[in-house]
Amino acid sequence: MKETNLGRREFLKTLGVAGAGILAATSPWLSAFSEVNHTARDRCRIGIIGPGSRGQFLMGFLAQNPKADIVAIADIYQPSIDGALKIAPKAKVYKDYRRLLADPEVDGVIVATPLNTHYGIVMDAFDAGKHVYCEKTIGYTMEECFNMYNRHMSSGKLFFTGQQRLFDPRYIKVMDLVHRGTFGKISAVDAYWNRNGDWRREVPDPSLEKFINWRLYGDSSRGLMSELGCHQLQIGTWALGKLPDRVMGHGGITFWKDGREVHDNVHCIYGYDTGESLTYGSVISNKFYGLEEKIMGNLGTVEPESGKYYFEEVAPAPAFLQMVNSWENALFEEIPFAGTSWAPETANVNKGEFILGERPKTDGTSLLVDAFVEAVITGKQPERIAEEGYYASLLCLWGHKAIETGQMLVFPEEYKIDYAPYGTKKINPATDSPA
Amino acid sequence: MKDIVLTGRRQKKELWYLLGSFVIANLFNLGAILYYGSPMTEMFTSFFYVLLFTLFIYALTLIPRLLYNMLKKKAHTEVKN
Repeated sequence: MKETNLGRREFLKTLGVAGAGILAATSPWLSAFSEVNHTARDRCRIGIIGPGSRGQFLMGFLAQNPKADIVAIADIYQPSIDGALKIAPKAKVYKDYRRLLADPEVDGVIVATPLNTHYGIVMDAFDAGKHVYCEKTIGYTMEECFNMYNRHMSSGKLFFTGQQRLFDPRYIKVMDLVHRGTFGKISAVDAYWNRNGDWRREVPDPSLEKFINWRLYGDSSRGLMSELGCHQLQIGTWALGKLPDRVMGHGGITFWKDGREVHDNVHCIYGYDTGESLTYGSVISNKFYGLEEKIMGNLGTVEPESGKYYFEEVAPAPAFLQMVNSWENALFEEIPFAGTSWAPETANVNKGEFILGERPKTDGTSLLVDAFVEAVITGKQPERIAEEGYYASLLCLWGHKAIETGQMLVFPEEYKIDYAPYGTKKINPATDSPA
Repeated sequence: MKDIVLTGRRQKKELWYLLGSFVIANLFNLGAILYYGSPMTEMFTSFFYVLLFTLFIYALTLIPRLLYNMLKKKAHTEVKN
């Protein structure tokens, strides 16, 4: 699907606000655009590490941004380099990412490499004084994520993660409504991403199988949890405004038995101490239900992927139509001879309303990339953006661990960071040890 | 082809039938509003439904009147012969 590049002006217009300040409480990372007029003549220099399919997708937005220059790319796979050079013909090409990091003409880097390589690259980038945009999931293990976040904090360099829904107008608007209680008390968020495909990429040479299809192998990927779940689990915590404290999960290879090591169907239940639940499931042998996050409150339901919300109580039809309907029922209603003694609670026929009054245009990726560019120019880390990415990564890795161990796991305290919106506080063993 | 002549008297009569149908449709709407406890603003907001129902009632009145006229014409022809 073609991604629409939504300009900042149109973005704010879409949200129906005069400025981003109105949504500061729900989405403070929008402050990345607060100096957009002052930086009109500034430019930043970006390097791309791993310009494969995702990397080139992001480069497409950078190429359209007059404030960004793609000055360097680093990859070891020639087809990726060739593709990237079509987007940024003047970019310097490095085979070793460390040489790109040593390039003083690079202000910030976008890391879009396989999951297991993020850690080394991102840590080296911070050490080299570069600002970092790292694709999700940020780390291969929870410990890696924790170290990356801490290195970001200690280095003072920017840290963006590929959680594009943070900049999706649908999500921003709907989270504002959710947090204001429009849909009542949120008891559950049910997220799923279903596809019907083998998730494979074409391999020109069998020796490149693990290199190209790294998502399918356990030593380079956490499978569906890290590649798909990371986006949607963040929606759950964003909506509920807190972290779950336990998780259980199940996964298996049930259909695509083609030598892959990661599951082709996964399901996790995240539980909250206050009773709410966040569920996540992904199946890649059935696409009927597609992709969605159902945010369920006692007053209404939100389905942000389809861009709609539904209130529980639907305004009754005009009296005239009710009357006509009752005549129809009286004329044509069948009298059952024998039937069930109960009526199943089937879903209401409720067409809902579009969150933004129209069909969705973008998933926020272009704005996330634009925000990174703005932040690199100003050198200011937008509030909460690193933390949201950090916890999203942790949730999917934690869920993956629950699937692998087959146990119910509690959230590891040692990986909590200071993050007021989720009420978490880093445990310092020296000062916070139990009496 | 035979011309159909609608006299002024006939047109006036049909307009009265249409007005009567419109009044009846509105009475049905009022009754439904009272029965289902809906807001009285539906007297205006349901105007298009009422208009459709008006045409339906008018069409209903056409059937017996057409039948009556056909029978009347047939009887008149038979008497003439």
